[in-house]
Amino acid sequence: MVSLLEMPQTLPQQVPRQNDRPVEETESAEIMIDVRDLDFAYAGNKVLHNVSLDIPPKAVTAFIGPSGCGKTTLLRCINRMNDLIEGARITRGTIHLGGIDINAPQVDVVDLRRRVGMVFQKSNPFPKSIYENISYGLRIAGVNKRSRIDEAVEKSLRGAALWDEVKDRLDEGALGLSGGQQQRLCIARALAVEPDVVLMDEPCSALDPIATAKIEELIHELKRQYTIVIVTHNMQQAGRVSDHTGFFYLGKLIEFGPTTKIFTNPSERRTEDYITGRFG
Amino acid sequence: MMPPKHILGTFDEALSSVRNNVLMMAGLAERTLDRAVKGLLQRDDNLCTTAIADDEEIDQLEKQIDKEGVDVLLRFQPVASDLRRVVAAMKLSPNIERIADQATNIARRARKLNRHPPLPEVEIIVPIQAHAMAMFKDAIDAFVREDVDLGRAVVARDKDLDHMNKMANRKLTDRMAQDPKQLRGYLNLIFISRCLERVGDHATNIAEDAVYAAAAEDIRHQALVQASNG
Repeated sequence: MVSLLEMPQTLPQQVPRQNDRPVEETESAEIMIDVRDLDFAYAGNKVLHNVSLDIPPKAVTAFIGPSGCGKTTLLRCINRMNDLIEGARITRGTIHLGGIDINAPQVDVVDLRRRVGMVFQKSNPFPKSIYENISYGLRIAGVNKRSRIDEAVEKSLRGAALWDEVKDRLDEGALGLSGGQQQRLCIARALAVEPDVVLMDEPCSALDPIATAKIEELIHELKRQYTIVIVTHNMQQAGRVSDHTGFFYLGKLIEFGPTTKIFTNPSERRTEDYITGRFG
Repeated sequence: MMPPKHILGTFDEALSSVRNNVLMMAGLAERTLDRAVKGLLQRDDNLCTTAIADDEEIDQLEKQIDKEGVDVLLRFQPVASDLRRVVAAMKLSPNIERIADQATNIARRARKLNRHPPLPEVEIIVPIQAHAMAMFKDAIDAFVREDVDLGRAVVARDKDLDHMNKMANRKLTDRMAQDPKQLRGYLNLIFISRCLERVGDHATNIAEDAVYAAAAEDIRHQALVQASNG
């Protein structure tokens, strides 16, 4: 079995693989996640149609679109979370992460999910201490040395801009934290195993404006080190935090491009109508 | 082409209000400029005084447009063409206000000229005023109809106006040398010609903003860019 922990750290264009695009294009573009001709179905009901996009490394990519358009489905395809749903499967196309086909039979899905962390709409800390929430993933990965775990806990909490708020109460229950702090704890938990990609599924939808601002500021900091893909219903949030935006409608990727372009002069009428609130 | 209605009717209303105020302001500025030049050509001080008095209402509209524009940005956080329309409206109003200021300057100079015997050279102003006024009207039309071609055409016409102003200056300067007794009068006409040339500059700015609102294309300072590139 191929371990994704041993995947090349170099960019995918340096990994030889087959695709249908001209060589010059693949050689010039920086791509972390390469989604190509993807169809996805739930129990035979197709919900993604021929989606292709290149997600660049160390940048924030936002998926926007009305409910049911397929943006969360695509997000969950990137770390194979949909594998857990019976009857749900990719029916055509590929997703490459760092040049590796993540759906290849030899890929270890646990390694994949370590490399591609996920933060959900509602914070879901374990009913354990703050410390244990962070250390849990490391222990699962076989790290047992206390000093190394301590170091990772502090690094992750600092990375999630939570350290100063919790450093004196690491043994207290995580469920005692505020909603915004819990969400940042979940981000810290994802960071603890040093992923390359962090997927965020409406991470601020349950938070107040201050907690939302803290998460957005955090996202801005995190993109220096990580590739971030965020699903959001908040147009202003997509405009604030992302570098690239994809607009989905009825399972199709209608438009994908730099966020500034999408929000000032989209190429597609449907994108314009959706983001300006003239849809339907 | 205007987009289909917004799901938020209040947004459409707010944007319409900003645009309507811009149009009202443009209409008033056009009337003021017309009155100022008529005051000069017909030697009518009353028209000049009315033109000067009109400026106050235009100034107030500029403030109103700024206030409403900020309000729309704050309440609705518009994007794409909506954002461009609001930004363009807020950029148009200071240019229209400056056009009205030029009309006021013309009216003041006209009143001074009217105190002295008529100068036949005043006719030099007629084609310059016609050209400047046509540019202004077309620039506003380009904004209202979101007509990119018309906007570009207005920008191109500014060179002709500059040339007309230059020719008028030359002619009036020559006349000063020939007839130094009328020096003040010729200087006032040179000043009025320059005011109209400035109206053309503001009309150009408006046309550029109209193109931006319609097509998200920034056509400002293209001559400079082309010169530095080539």
